[in-house]
Amino acid sequence: MLKIVYFGKTSFALEYNETTVLLNPGIWDGKKVVPNDFNARIVIATNQSDDAVGNAAKIAVNSKAWFLGNQGAADKASKKGVKPWLLHVLKSEVPYEIPDVKITPYALSRIDESEGGRIENLGLYIEIGDMKVGYIGDTVIRGPFEHLDMDVLIVPVGGDGVFEVKDAVSLCIDAKPRVGVPMRWSSEEDPKKFSKYVEQFGQGTVPVIMEPDQVLEVYWAAGNEFRYELN
Amino acid sequence: MSERKKVVIDLEESEEVQLDGLSEMTSIDASGVMSVNNASERSRIWNVKVLLGETRDSTDISDDSLSAGEIDVGSSWETNYGVTVKAPIMTFKEVFDTCGTIETEEPHWAYVAGKENPVKITLTVTNETDGELDNIILNKTIPPELSNIEIVSAKSGTAEYDEGTKQVVWKDFVIYPRESSSLVISATGIVEDTEPKKAGEVVITYRGEGQQRSVLDPDLAALTEFLTGIETAETEPNQWQCTLECSNESDLIVRLDKAEVYLTPEDGGEKQKMIEETPSIELEPDQEWASSFEVESKSTPKCSQDLQYTPVKTVTKRVLGTLEKAAQEIPVYSIDYSKTFDPPSVSSFDKTPVEVTIEVTNNGSAKLDNFTIEDNLPDDVMPPKSEHITVWIKGEEYTGPYEFLIDPEDQDPEKPHKLTFRVENLKDSVGEVEPGESLKINYAIMAWRNRPEKEYPSPVICTANTDPAGIPAVMESPEDGHKLGVIYKKRAISTKKAINKGAAAGEYIVVLVVSNNGEVTAENIEVTDWIPAGFEYISTDPEDEAPEVFPVDTGGNYMVWTWQRMNPGDKKKLRVTVQGEGEYERREPEVTSI
Repeated sequence: MLKIVYFGKTSFALEYNETTVLLNPGIWDGKKVVPNDFNARIVIATNQSDDAVGNAAKIAVNSKAWFLGNQGAADKASKKGVKPWLLHVLKSEVPYEIPDVKITPYALSRIDESEGGRIENLGLYIEIGDMKVGYIGDTVIRGPFEHLDMDVLIVPVGGDGVFEVKDAVSLCIDAKPRVGVPMRWSSEEDPKKFSKYVEQFGQGTVPVIMEPDQVLEVYWAAGNEFRYELN
Repeated sequence: MSERKKVVIDLEESEEVQLDGLSEMTSIDASGVMSVNNASERSRIWNVKVLLGETRDSTDISDDSLSAGEIDVGSSWETNYGVTVKAPIMTFKEVFDTCGTIETEEPHWAYVAGKENPVKITLTVTNETDGELDNIILNKTIPPELSNIEIVSAKSGTAEYDEGTKQVVWKDFVIYPRESSSLVISATGIVEDTEPKKAGEVVITYRGEGQQRSVLDPDLAALTEFLTGIETAETEPNQWQCTLECSNESDLIVRLDKAEVYLTPEDGGEKQKMIEETPSIELEPDQEWASSFEVESKSTPKCSQDLQYTPVKTVTKRVLGTLEKAAQEIPVYSIDYSKTFDPPSVSSFDKTPVEVTIEVTNNGSAKLDNFTIEDNLPDDVMPPKSEHITVWIKGEEYTGPYEFLIDPEDQDPEKPHKLTFRVENLKDSVGEVEPGESLKINYAIMAWRNRPEKEYPSPVICTANTDPAGIPAVMESPEDGHKLGVIYKKRAISTKKAINKGAAAGEYIVVLVVSNNGEVTAENIEVTDWIPAGFEYISTDPEDEAPEVFPVDTGGNYMVWTWQRMNPGDKKKLRVTVQGEGEYERREPEVTSI
């Protein structure tokens, strides 16, 4: 069983057996989303912005976890004290693999709202246990994700330099994951609209809106029947 | 034979009835005039009294008898009185059906604005008595919005429409006891504004000869020229025959009700009644009546008399009625609508959810009971599922019964779809939609890769109706109305090519960089590059981007890459290794996409 823990904004932890993968523990308006003492095996930041890297370095150091990210995120983590031997720079389409987990990054991009232009953001295709999770981070483009076979797809919906609701819905329609999870909404209406549209047009995708501290459990019943439970 | 003259007591009673616009009685007033008419040509009557007894109870007359005094030849005496009644002797109902061509249990009660309303007016009068009603004249005012007035049928009498006075007059008929008669009028009603209209008043006058509203049963007591006397004649010594003689000296018929004669005994004792008769005989003019007795007396008997007589009366009566029905108010039903897309425009070649909101407003003056909205979605739009519609009525979310059909029943974005929303019988759920209130529906559609050069009209037809349903009020857009806007987003796929020498002799590295520099996702991208004759394809980095390679008739090979989609900003860099001999001729790669 895969447990997907939501902390809010774009921060998730994927827990399978003894392995915990923490995604984008960002800092928003000076506030941490994930506590420094969170214990993870792998901490990933998909880009170098504060809302992605946040206190990832601190958590990685505290829990002696691997820090994974693109070059920009890795540089930032390094400056914040992550030891070089625990730092791994992710390259597009080059998988990173440990027991039970295979992470394939794809180069996507987000709009840098403070500086303008685009900065690289990695979309992650995470095969963890017997589940395939797409986490496209902070992105305005979808890259190859529409062609990937995913059980769970986690997409931004806020439109602030990343996908708007329509883009997230459109990707769910094309990629047809079993479950679509919105994140990074700008208003309370965004996830509701995402849910409404995916339910109507998703053709097989179930929208699941997660609130902070909720846990989504996904598993294969009898080995072949996909099930999920939100607690 | 001369006419038998009697004193005439005449009761002329009248009733005035007011009905409201829906033919319900709002008031009834009844009154009467009682007159005593001396029909004599030469005889006065005096000491006239009209005797009413308990029959006055239904009136406001306070005395059992009324004194009329003296009434000269050909003159009369009269008095007025009020009568208490609860219902008229004639009832009336007007059915003003604004859509007479559609049979319904209850009539249609509102005009639809801007259309021809096939009006049918049925006027029914009913005689509620056991006597005939005659002298009936019915006047129906025809309102100005009606034209093509036709008398369809009149069960009895004659009916005509006078264009000048705008009146239908129905007359020359009687209604037999407990029967009804009807007049049917057809017309065309056209109203352009939504202010309530008046259906026209009805005024009926009628007469019930021999009928009365009170229960007065008057009798008469009076005197007139009437000669009486007692003749005493000795038939034998001390034997006398006494005869009471009466003679009607008037030209009226006089009824002798009592005749008594008393004899005063010679010795002065108590009077003895010698004649006691109640003949109740009606004496014609100059007719005489006598009665006698014999008595023994030494002197001429002394007799006295007591007579009661009165001119004979006859009672005539009638009821004159007037019924006025107020004009029925006919409201007008009309609708307006608005349709919005949110967002109003979508990016070309994108997939965008669009909220469609259609609001139908009752802008007439009649309540509306059912609505239909037909929305026509163009192709390149994915329709909603039938369960994904939200409905508001009167500003509140509506969860009652409705129908939402999608034709064809699928979500294929390549086909146009017709969406039909229908809600009926609101009066039994949330109540009819009042003037100024509205019904609103909302659903989402998915704009599906719309092309900028194409137009996407989404016309709508809204209808509404009353209960019972007549001709629907319709508002519709032009056939090319409500276009979903498509914002043109530039497509720009660039290909750059470099030919670099490889590590080995005759080996070249062809570098191809394909970028989506446009503002919109490109799909079905096909890039073709040419390998000159004498060279062959070896490999591609990255390996999973290997092209299809096939020979060209004119020499060399084509390498073809296809990608389903490239998002704005996407870039693909390919390093193709080729090997061969000769000059490596450069040709520019070709790229196509949609």
